[in-house]
Order: sequence, then C-alpha cells, then structure tokens
Amino acid sequence: MARRQRMKTEEVEPDLPIIPMLDMSFQLLAFFIITFHPAPTEGQIAMQLPPAEQGGPSTNIPSITDEKPKKYIVEVTATEGGAIARMTFREDGSAEEGSEDLGADVKTYLTKIKSLYETELKRIEAGKASGREVPPPKLTLKIGDRLLQAYVMQLFDAGVQAGFSDIAPIPTDPRKQ
Amino acid sequence: MSHGSTDRCEPNLTPLLDLVLQLVMFFMLCANFVMEQTSVEIKLPEAIAAKALDKSTDEVLFLNVNAKGQVLLSANQREDDNTDTLDNPVQVENYLKRRAAVETRVTGKDKPQATIVLRIDKETPFEYSYPIMKACRQANYSNVQLRAIRYSGVE
Repeated sequence: MARRQRMKTEEVEPDLPIIPMLDMSFQLLAFFIITFHPAPTEGQIAMQLPPAEQGGPSTNIPSITDEKPKKYIVEVTATEGGAIARMTFREDGSAEEGSEDLGADVKTYLTKIKSLYETELKRIEAGKASGREVPPPKLTLKIGDRLLQAYVMQLFDAGVQAGFSDIAPIPTDPRKQ
Repeated sequence: MSHGSTDRCEPNLTPLLDLVLQLVMFFMLCANFVMEQTSVEIKLPEAIAAKALDKSTDEVLFLNVNAKGQVLLSANQREDDNTDTLDNPVQVENYLKRRAAVETRVTGKDKPQATIVLRIDKETPFEYSYPIMKACRQANYSNVQLRAIRYSGVE
C-alpha cells in the first residue's frame, strides 16, 4: 500500500526564475558599456643618452681608417609658454654663424632632415659598394630649458620619421650638459 | 473545442541570457585596467613613429615623470621606506643606482641590462626631464626609450 503511494508522487518541475537574472545582466552590461573607454596604445621612441661628462679614459679608441659619422645639430629655443620659438640647423664642426634658420614649424625641420638623411643614405650605399663601412648619421637636439615634452617628442618623432636612429637631446646651456 | 486551451506560451530567455552574459564578460575583460607600473596621472605626448615595446625585452623599468619633474613610483617600485615620489634628480640617480646594483648582482653582468621607459608628461619642461635622462646615464643604464601615445596622423 505504502509502495503504491510513493509511486503516485507527482514529479515537481523546478522553476528557475530567469527574468531577474536577465535584468541584472542588462544592468551590468549597461554599466560596462557606459564606462568602456579603450586605453590608448602606447609606443616608444628610442633615444641616445646624453654623452658622459668629461674625464676618465675613453674605452672606444677610434681607428684612423674608421669613417666618422656625420653629426647634425638642431638648436631649438622655446617661447615663454614652452612652445618652439625658433630652430636652427648646422653640421657639427661648422661655425654657429653659418646656421640655417628653420623657423618654428616642425614640418620645415622634417623636410630638411629628411633630405639630409636621403643624401647620407646614398653615401652609406656608395661606401658599401666600395667596401667601406660608413656609419649612420647622428642627430643632436640642443633644446631650450622651457620647451615642453610635447614639442620635444615632436622633434624626436620627426627625426625617426626622417630615418635617424641616433638622436640625442642636450640642453642649450653647456653648463647643464 | 481546441481554442479553449490554457497552455502558457513563454519565450525562451536562456539563449538571450547567455548572450548578455558573454557581452558582460567581454566588457569586463576589456575594461581599462591600470598597468602596474604606469601612472594614469601622466598625460603622454603623441608620436607617429612610436613603436610597440619589443617582446624580447626582458626587464623594463617604467619611470613616470610628472610636469614638476618628480618621478612617481608605483607600489611595486617602492623601496623599504615606502616613498612614492622622487622629488629631485639626485634621488632619482641614487634610486636607479640601487636598482642597477641589485640587477648586476643577480645577472652577474657589469652593466644593468634593463630598458628604462620614460613616461614623461607632455607638460614637463626640458629643464626637468633632462636631469632624469642624465640620472639614467649616471646609473649606467644605456637603453632608454621615450614613451608616447601612438598616433596615426589622421584626425
């Protein structure tokens, strides 16, 4: 008798309320959509550290036959607000009076160093053809104290775009170097 | 008559719930997690030629430099005294020298091999950022890079 009663017990179908869970999920989704802000992609630009202070023996003794790399110097002065006031260009070893004025536009500076690098590239290739190793040119940025990092980065960026791989920043004031 | 049936017609919400939960997961994973060594206080300049960090670089030390020229240390960069800011270039140089000494002791090399990534705020004048670069050189680090936001050049 008892066995028959047990057999008669109705199967209970569990009722899982999905709607409140769906509501909560939608709220979470709305929160993440509203607060979603993809992080900007960051990247690096390699730089050469400023040269070591005078004194102490040099470990790199250049050979007489070694070809020296060409060095170009761009001197940048800053305005009171930290923007570029004026840029001048010269080759290392040449007189400062013979500097070429590039104005304050980074595009002019980019065009100038791009054409220079192309000339240098031809020299490197000609050297390779004749069996000589010509080192790549160097770019030194002499930067005014007030110039903001945003502009320093523009100068570096243009240098890398032109093809230079060796770019070193130094202050215009030699006492601070 | 058949039209008098009382069967309830309910939409199947389970696939919808699955989809929503997947979307929630996506947004949670893409959420802007702050990197351990970088600081959100630093507003980086933009550069077209900036390249992603080389994957083969073993050790990278991020130095966050604010507009006042102070180096902000993240929790895992702090030393025993728990200082979170290096206020002047001398402090930066000493800090880097200590890190370089630890690294050279571990690697057995005469120079630290780590790459220093300088995250300098775009409003920092050169007179504040240059001494930090100089401090890297004094501490014998040779591989130093400047951090920027990669910019395609198209507005």
